[in-house]
Amino acid sequence: MTGPKSPEHTRTVRVMAGKPKVYALSTCPYCKRTKRFLDEHKIDYDCTDVDLLDDAKQDEALEEIEKLTGRRSFPVVIIDDEIIVGYDEQRLRKALRL
Amino acid sequence: MSDGKQERIYCPVCLARFKKEEGWSEGAVVICPICGQKLRLVWSPEGWQGERVDRGTEKEIRERAESFARLRGYSFNEMKEELIEGLVGKHRLFGEFYCPCRMEHTPEYQCPCKPTRGGDVERKGRCYCGFFWKKQV
Ligand SMILES: [Zn+2]
Repeated sequence: MTGPKSPEHTRTVRVMAGKPKVYALSTCPYCKRTKRFLDEHKIDYDCTDVDLLDDAKQDEALEEIEKLTGRRSFPVVIIDDEIIVGYDEQRLRKALRL
Repeated sequence: MSDGKQERIYCPVCLARFKKEEGWSEGAVVICPICGQKLRLVWSPEGWQGERVDRGTEKEIRERAESFARLRGYSFNEMKEELIEGLVGKHRLFGEFYCPCRMEHTPEYQCPCKPTRGGDVERKGRCYCGFFWKKQV
């Protein structure tokens, strides 16, 4: 389809497949800034502070993070199929179409 | 100890031994030249030890980091206070001032961590957490 996008279309595009997911450390200021950015933009997201999990759940989360990113860096933000490691406002804006 | 052998002081933060200088005696307060920790000298059967001054306080980690930066000629940026807050959080949660941006809670990741003491800032321009920065020339 060509031609100008209708407002409905624009809205459809903005709907994300799932809630963004954040893996963070409770002591990491870049993680805090990432959460603050999402909060300020009224984004509904799930967040796990990996350092505060019990051992079994922590291992699970770390495994998942290593599988997704190949390392153990924080924060990790998953927005649809976009994976952002570190506090990267530009990439967050792009992925969230802000 | 008058056998002419260099006397050394054990630092409980970086787990290394540094040279004891002329005139330092029991009770003297010195700075570990490797990690920047402020230490009070104590003689023990195992040799000279440093006792951490202000152990576990924000003052301790702030002074350690500032001394380390001064010794190495590194600088901080606008993240400094937030990172100190993170270090204090690590101590509260895990018992030591571990790198606030890592999941590692072992002695070598006490700030300044082993990679940082080993020259990471020289090589990469900054430490892992972006706390210590190489000065621009
Ligand atoms: Zn030391």
